[in-house]
Amino acid sequence: MAAAVRASLMITCLGDVFFPEVGVAMVRLLRRLGVEVDFPEGQTCCGLPLFNSGYHHDAARVAARTVKLFERAEHVVVPSGSCAWMVKIEYPGLLKHDPALHAVAESLARRTRELSQFIVEVLGIAKIESSFEGKVTYHDSCHLLRGLGESASPRTLLRGVAGVELVELPGADECCGFGGSFSVRLPEVSTSILDKKLANVESTGARCLVACDAGCLMQMGGGLTRRGSTVKAVHLAQVLAGEVEG
Amino acid sequence: MSDAALRTPFPQRAGAALKDAFLQEALTIATTKFIDLRKEAFAGFPQGEALRDRARAIKEATLQHLHVHLERLADNVERLGGHVHWATTAEEAREMVLRICRDRGVRMAVKSKSMATEEIDLNEALEHAGVVPVETDLGEYIIQLAREKPSHIIAPAIHKTKGQVAELFSRELGGEFPADPEVLTAVARRALREKFLQADMGITGANFAVADTGTVVLVTNEGNGRMVTSLPRIHVALMGVEKVIPSMSDLVVFLAILARSATGQKLSSYTTLVRGPRRAGELEGPEEFHLILLDNGRSRQIASTLREALYCLRCGACLNVCPVYRQIGGHAYGYTYPGPIGILLTAMLKGNESVRDLAHASSLCGACKDVCPVRIDIPRMLVELREHLDREKIAPWTERVAFKTLGRLLRSPAAFRLSAAAARWLQKPFVREGRLRALPLVFGKWTRTRDLPPVAARTFRERWEELR
Amino acid sequence: MTGRAEFLERIRREVSKTPGLFGASPAPRPADPATAAETVRRELAERWPAALERFRIEFERVSGVFHRVPSLDAVPAVIGAIARERGALRAVTWDPAALGFDAAPALIRDGLEVVAARAGEEDEAARLRHRAQAAGAQLGVTGADFVLAETGTLILLSGSGRPGSTSLLPDVHVAVFGRDRLVETLEQVGVMLEALHVDPDRAMSGAMINFITGPSRTADIELTLTRGVHGPKEVHAVFVEAP
Repeated sequence: MAAAVRASLMITCLGDVFFPEVGVAMVRLLRRLGVEVDFPEGQTCCGLPLFNSGYHHDAARVAARTVKLFERAEHVVVPSGSCAWMVKIEYPGLLKHDPALHAVAESLARRTRELSQFIVEVLGIAKIESSFEGKVTYHDSCHLLRGLGESASPRTLLRGVAGVELVELPGADECCGFGGSFSVRLPEVSTSILDKKLANVESTGARCLVACDAGCLMQMGGGLTRRGSTVKAVHLAQVLAGEVEG
Repeated sequence: MSDAALRTPFPQRAGAALKDAFLQEALTIATTKFIDLRKEAFAGFPQGEALRDRARAIKEATLQHLHVHLERLADNVERLGGHVHWATTAEEAREMVLRICRDRGVRMAVKSKSMATEEIDLNEALEHAGVVPVETDLGEYIIQLAREKPSHIIAPAIHKTKGQVAELFSRELGGEFPADPEVLTAVARRALREKFLQADMGITGANFAVADTGTVVLVTNEGNGRMVTSLPRIHVALMGVEKVIPSMSDLVVFLAILARSATGQKLSSYTTLVRGPRRAGELEGPEEFHLILLDNGRSRQIASTLREALYCLRCGACLNVCPVYRQIGGHAYGYTYPGPIGILLTAMLKGNESVRDLAHASSLCGACKDVCPVRIDIPRMLVELREHLDREKIAPWTERVAFKTLGRLLRSPAAFRLSAAAARWLQKPFVREGRLRALPLVFGKWTRTRDLPPVAARTFRERWEELR
Repeated sequence: MTGRAEFLERIRREVSKTPGLFGASPAPRPADPATAAETVRRELAERWPAALERFRIEFERVSGVFHRVPSLDAVPAVIGAIARERGALRAVTWDPAALGFDAAPALIRDGLEVVAARAGEEDEAARLRHRAQAAGAQLGVTGADFVLAETGTLILLSGSGRPGSTSLLPDVHVAVFGRDRLVETLEQVGVMLEALHVDPDRAMSGAMINFITGPSRTADIELTLTRGVHGPKEVHAVFVEAP
C-alpha cells in the first residue's frame, strides 16, 4: 500500500462545541479508511459568521491565523460544506492585501475538502463498509451544493452503505432557513422556511435526515425535536461510521 | 408603499405576511409553479447555459461603454423623429412626463406594466396633475383599482384571490361579477378596450433598447404593450439607462432566455419592437414618440459594489426561488423592487440607509444566483452591502460591538475554550431532556421555535486527547 | 433639467473608473448583413419542410391553429370556414398588395363584411375609420414577414397597407404565409433584423415590428391561464404550399 494519506481535521466551531460526536465519528471513519488524522489545536472557527454579516476586516484576521495554522497540512478535511466553502472560495480574496498570506490561502484552498468530497475525490472511495437499517433522506446544504457544486458524493456514499434505503427529499436543494445570523435576525421567517423543509422530510418516511453541514443540522435537528418528530437529524459521518444512536 | 407603512420595521412587516394565510398559500402555489415552468423550459434547451453566459457578457460589455451606446441610441431615436429626454432623478423624469401632458393637453394615459414608472411613482404624479393613468396589464389594473402596489415583478397581483378580484371589479366597475378568472378577464378586456381607444398617451417601460437601430423593445403576454404603443397619439417610453444593448444580434440572445426564466415560455406572446413615431404612409402608430432615459442612482454603481445589479432583466426568477420571498411576498420588502435583487436595487436607488434591515433578509442560500439568466452574483453583493453597513456605521452599534467581540474571541483559542466552558456552566438551569428549549435574551429568538443542542459535556477538543 | 452632455459626461466619468473589469463582448454581428441574410435564405430553401414541421409543432404548443393549403386559391375557403365556425360577421385585412392576394371577393360571397386597408391612406379620417373597423371586426387577416420555427412565432412588420391593429384588435387573427418566410432560429431572426435595418427601402417603411407567439394570454388571477385578455383569443397560421 502507498504511503498513508495525512489529513488535518478542521472541526469548525459548531462541530467542536455542539456536535463533538460528529468529529469523533469522522476521526474513526477516516482512520478506518487508512487516513492519518491530526487536529491542529489552536483552531477556533473559519470566520464565516463574521464574513456573512459584513465584518470582513475581522473575518480576514481570523482567516489569517487559520491559514497559518493549517499551512503544513497535506489535506484539510471539514465536516461542513459552508466552512469548506469559506476556506476554498473566500479566504484568498480576504487575504489578497498580503501577497505571502494570499499565496498560503490559495494553496490551502486547493488542499481543503468537505468530508464527502475528500472521501470520494481524494481517497477515491465510493463504497464504505458499514451498515444502517432503514430509510434515510439527504438534504443538500446550500454552500456545498451551490457554493462547491457538490450533490453526488454524499448520495453515492449513502447508497453504498449496506441496509440504507436512500429516499430523495422533495425540495432537497432548498434552503433549510438557517443562514447563520439570519436564523435569529428573522427567526419567524427562518422558522417558516424550516417548517416547509421538515414537512418534506416527514413526507419521505425516512428514519434519519442526513446532511453535511453543522448549521443545517442545528436548524433542522432543533426543529425536529421541537415538533416531537421521530426523524433524527444526523451527519453523514455518523452514518458512514455506523455510529447513529437509537 | 406609503411612508406610513414603511415606518413599521421590516421584521414586523415580514411577521404580518407570515400570518396572512391566503398570502402564504398563494405564494407557495405561484412560486412553485414558476420554478417548475422555468426548470422545464431550460431542461429542453441545451444551448440555454451558453446563451446565459453570452447574455451576461453582453451586459458587461455594454456597461463598459454605456455612454457610447446611449448616445448612439439617442441619435437614432432622434433621426427617426423621436424626442429623447435625460432624467438624472426620479423627480426630473416625472416632470418630463407631466410637461408633455401639459403641452399636448393629455387627459388620460394608458400604461403597460413598467417597473421604472413604479420606481418614480409616476401614477401619483399624473393623478395629482389631473391626468388619469390607467394600468392595462391585468394584474396591474387589479392592484391599481385596489390602490395597492405590485407584489411580484411579473405577477403583480399574485397576493389576491379571484373572490377579492370579483368583489373589487363589482364595486369599481359597477356590476355583479362571479369569482371566475375567465369572466373577470373578459370584464377587464371590455373596460380597458375603451380606455385604449380613448387615451391620448401611452406610457411604457422598455425591456431593451437597441442602440444600433433606435428600437425600444417591449415584451408582454397580454398584448397591452402593443395597444399602448400603437393606439394613442403620443407614446412615452421610460427606461433605466442600463436597458440599452448594442444590436439586434444581442437582442435575440436576451429574448431566448428572458421568457424562459420568467414564465417558462420560449417567447412571451408578444415582443414589440418600436422605432420612433409612425412613418409616412402608415395608418397607425403615435404621431409623437418620447424616450426618457432614467439614471436615478444607477450611474453611481457603474464603478461600485452593485455594478452587477445593472445587468438585471427584471424576469422575477430570483424572487420565485428565494426562500425569504417565498415566505413573505413582495409587499413586506416595502419598496418597488422586492426579492433578493430588489434589496440591491433599493440600495442603488434609495441609498444604503434604506436597506439596513433588508440587507439581512437573505439566508445567502444562493438559489437566486443559480437561476438568474445573467448570473448576477446576488449573495456576494448582499454580503458586500452588509460590509458597507458596518463600515458606514449604518448597522446598529450594539450589533457592531457584538461582532467585533466575536472577532476577538475567534482569534484567541484560549478565550474560545473559556467561552465554551462558561456557556456550559451558564446553560445548566435551562437544559431539559438534553436540549435547550427556552433561553433568555437574544438566544430566545432561536429557542422560541427550535431546540438548541447544549454545549457538549466535553467538546471535541477535550475528547481529542483520548482519540490520539 | 439635465442636459444630454451633462448626463452622458457623468456616465462616461463613472465608466472610466472601471476599465474592462470582466471578460465581456457583445454578440457577433454579421459584417455584411444583407449577404448573411441571403446565405440563411439559401440554406433554408433546402430545409423548409423540416422548418415548417418544427413551426407547426411549436405553434400548436402555444395554442395556435395550423392550416395547410396547396395554393392561394384555397385560402379564402379556410378563412371562410374559420369565420363561420365562430359566427364572425366582419373581417379586416391588410392591403391585398401587402397580403399577396385579395381575400375579399370570396369572403364577401361567404356573407362576410370585409374591409381591406389601403396602402397610402393616412389622413386622420381614414385613421379613425380604420380603427373603428378593426375594433368592430371579429377576424383579422394578415401576412407574415418571418415565421420562426423554433418558437412558433409569426413576425409582422408594420407599414403602409399593413396596420398592426389587424393582428391585434379582432378576436381571431389569421396569418397567411409561404415557404420563403420560414426561419429556423432566433439567431437567424437576428441576422434578418440586422439586414432589414441596413436596407434603406425597408428600414424606414414601418415603425413597428411584432413577434406574435400564440394568442394574447394572462395568468394574473390566481395563475389561471386565460386567453384573449387584450389581443386575439385565437391565432391561425395558413401555410400555402405553392411557392
